[in-house]
Amino acid sequence: MAELVGPLRKQLADSLSSCRVLVVGAGGIGCELLKNLVLTGFKNIEVIDLDTIDVSNLNRQFLFQKKHVGKSKAQVAKESVLRFCPSANITAYHDSIMNPDYNVEFFRNFQLVMNALDNRAARNHVNRMCLAADIPLIESGTAGYLGQVTVIKKGQTECYECQPKPTQKTFPGCTIRNTPSEPIHCIVWAKYLFNQLFGEEDADQEVSPDTADPEAAWNPADAAARATASDQDGDIKRVSTKEWARSTGYDPIKLFNKLFKDDIMYLLTMDKLWKKRKAPLPLEWEEINQLGSQEQVIGSGLKDQQVLGVQGYAQLFQHSVETLRSQLKEKGDGAELVWDKDDPPAMDFVTAASNLRMNVFSMNMKSRFDVKSMAGNIIPAIATTNAVIAGLIVLEALKILNSDFEQCRTIFLNKQPNPRKKLLVPCALDPPNASCYVCASKPEVTVKLNVHKTMVQALQDKILKEKFGMVAPDVQIEDGKGTILISSEEGETEANNNKFLSDFGIRNGSHLQADDFLQDYTLLVNVIHSEELEKDVEFEVVGDAPDKAPAPSAPEEGKNIANGNKDSAQPSTSSKAAVEDDDVLLVDSDEEPSSSTMDTESSNRKRKHHDAETDDASSKRKRLDQQPADDDDEDIIALD
Amino acid sequence: MIDTIEKEDTIISEEEAAQYDRQIRLWGLDAQKRLRGSRVLLVGLRGLGAEVAKNLILAGVKGLTLLDHEQVTEESRRAQFLIPVDADGQNHAQASLERAQFLNPMVEVKADTEPVESKPDDFFFQFDAVCLTRCSRDLMVRVDQLCASRNIKVFCGDVYGYNGYMFSDLGQEYHYVEEKPKVVKGSNEANDGPEAKKPKIDPNETTMVKKTISFCSLKEALEVDWTTEKAKSSLKRIPADYFLLQGAVSERCSAQELFLLRRPEGQRGGRLLQLQISGLGRTQSRACGAHPLPVAAGIKICLLDDTFA
Repeated sequence: MAELVGPLRKQLADSLSSCRVLVVGAGGIGCELLKNLVLTGFKNIEVIDLDTIDVSNLNRQFLFQKKHVGKSKAQVAKESVLRFCPSANITAYHDSIMNPDYNVEFFRNFQLVMNALDNRAARNHVNRMCLAADIPLIESGTAGYLGQVTVIKKGQTECYECQPKPTQKTFPGCTIRNTPSEPIHCIVWAKYLFNQLFGEEDADQEVSPDTADPEAAWNPADAAARATASDQDGDIKRVSTKEWARSTGYDPIKLFNKLFKDDIMYLLTMDKLWKKRKAPLPLEWEEINQLGSQEQVIGSGLKDQQVLGVQGYAQLFQHSVETLRSQLKEKGDGAELVWDKDDPPAMDFVTAASNLRMNVFSMNMKSRFDVKSMAGNIIPAIATTNAVIAGLIVLEALKILNSDFEQCRTIFLNKQPNPRKKLLVPCALDPPNASCYVCASKPEVTVKLNVHKTMVQALQDKILKEKFGMVAPDVQIEDGKGTILISSEEGETEANNNKFLSDFGIRNGSHLQADDFLQDYTLLVNVIHSEELEKDVEFEVVGDAPDKAPAPSAPEEGKNIANGNKDSAQPSTSSKAAVEDDDVLLVDSDEEPSSSTMDTESSNRKRKHHDAETDDASSKRKRLDQQPADDDDEDIIALD
Repeated sequence: MIDTIEKEDTIISEEEAAQYDRQIRLWGLDAQKRLRGSRVLLVGLRGLGAEVAKNLILAGVKGLTLLDHEQVTEESRRAQFLIPVDADGQNHAQASLERAQFLNPMVEVKADTEPVESKPDDFFFQFDAVCLTRCSRDLMVRVDQLCASRNIKVFCGDVYGYNGYMFSDLGQEYHYVEEKPKVVKGSNEANDGPEAKKPKIDPNETTMVKKTISFCSLKEALEVDWTTEKAKSSLKRIPADYFLLQGAVSERCSAQELFLLRRPEGQRGGRLLQLQISGLGRTQSRACGAHPLPVAAGIKICLLDDTFA
């Protein structure tokens, strides 16, 4: 009989004590995972997290206590673990895994990498690093009661990016600016407004009425004319919101009247918009205040769960503008505030502004609690889901280290038992997708865009970084001369940023070679020129499922929110017999079907992503170069 | 009528609202209030007990009593994360107390060092829920029965290496609610957008559906007669572990003593399900339950994990 160390074979126990593993993330899953690894006998663990501890973490990130709020998660996690296992060799990094210091060589130090992340960008990045280093990766995520674990191994399984993941839903500009129909549109508007007034102004976050709204025009030529006019003619173009606000000294009442009266009245003149919709009703500051001050309703609910009346939100608006105004003043000239759901005046502002707008557009108003959920992309979270998932991660890890790779599975944790009474449903892993734009041998994509209207900067930020997950792209044109379009070295190609692709001779059929040397990733981008892209759509990836049109979110998509957040997945309704080795089975059926061979595969694919791309710009995070990390402190999942 | 713990209709403090925010957003404020009014007993503070303690304390129950009468050894200490390294020889519950309390100062955590077998019936009556780990079959059956009379929820569980079980008894008539999304027909009076005619599911609007379910007692569960037609027909959906663990439940064995063996010879035909329980060096056979297992389908017991080889 084999020698045992507890329930483990000695050989396995030995390899546990000598192997080195990397845990990416020290949050909900991370804390449970670190505890599990150490108690199982792993000795050499490195953990990295860029975040600091927040009070809302304490309901589940049990390695942290109230006194640790504000400190580095990775650091405190390490210290807490050492208290019950002083012999563990733990290295903690308070840093972003996307920092170029953590290159392929760094990853090669480990026998195994385990993700405990909450955002897509980092998952994509770690996926590529593990492919480049050829190290097995265990990917996982949770949202509410749901969770998922899977194993990624180069050449043997699908990588994280083999299957297209639904992108974060965005709303068309005219919906946000002119014709909101749901509270979420108003909330997105309010967040844009915050940035326009107090933060970094962004051309994609306009809040004023959109005169170029195609729906507003009585004939197409008219719309086109207006669009051109507002692009080019300074007279029609309004002065920037921030400049205007500054000129009034950020007077809350003037601001209120402009946003909720004047601009609304302007919208009313675009009468075509209101033929089939209920027209907005402008608000008047003086009128509202005559209604008297807001009654405090004492209930047994949370204070934040109360829905105020319009006068309450008007007061909140005034108060928060005044507070933010002084915050701005304190920071000095050229200062910008960054929106953070946990910063009370910032959250108050969005609550107030969005509710006032909801009121204008005759929608039922929402409590601060609900607005915070939507604005901050909060994913509800509890300790036990993370505990289960972290347990499963270790079980998969043991299989890998025991060279039992054939035993590895994707495992789903559901909310309700399936017809076979299982809450945990394992599925066989799928082989790599031969046309994956990341792990195929020569990845390539085709992108449709307008070469005369797409700037080099947009190619870099929106296409290569945001869409294709590169962190530091280098791009050259395959024009026989190898013209360098974008260099990842700072400053080298800055002059190109505001030029259009066509300025470099890029046209229909051109090829670009994009490299991210950190990720050891080369992507061939084939360009198709098109002048017929939908409004607000800058590019399309050929072969992607089309984005949902401006229509209201389809029922099963649930909370499709501009700033991210896929809602929690629905439990599997697949009638597919998932792999269950421990059932009392007919002796013949040893076969464990791969999920891809089942004709109910599609229902498996529909399993929702619990990708919580929350909107976060909290100053506690290290700022990443690219677009706002969109992270909540949540562990969200999402694989599929 | 929903079978609930009395939720004190007090206001949740700002501190609680901030700390429990993420879970209130999942299970709602009412559920949090009920948790906040519950007193729970946890028996056994080894690996499993520590996990249960952590999860209950983080959830924010009113009080948790940690009960364990045994002393910490190096082995038992290394199985869990609440006991300090210098606590060998101390009582498990007492040694775990401080760090358990640190998990959430808002919960009243206590230690009790007496053996659970010696506790009188009324000891259990002070709790809303009782969690029993590493307990003998007889004790669990006794506690389950006396708790039933007071509508106290009972949860039993144990772990043997890679195997484990959990049993819950929420009573013969357990009332609960299920949250279902509300389908909104037609248009909101609010806003008649062009697509307003489609019924939408508003993700923020849900409706609570009342349900009732009946749990069997532990005694009944352990005394199922597998020779009946009804039992036979359900056999396909029952994992082999179930029978293994019945043996384990009857007599607590350590992980190293418990193995499942592959039975390669022809499985069809009636056969006593046999478990080999082997320690290091000695072997005993024991029939599982008292009944021969029926047979329409062969029953295969597999090696659960190669590490047992």
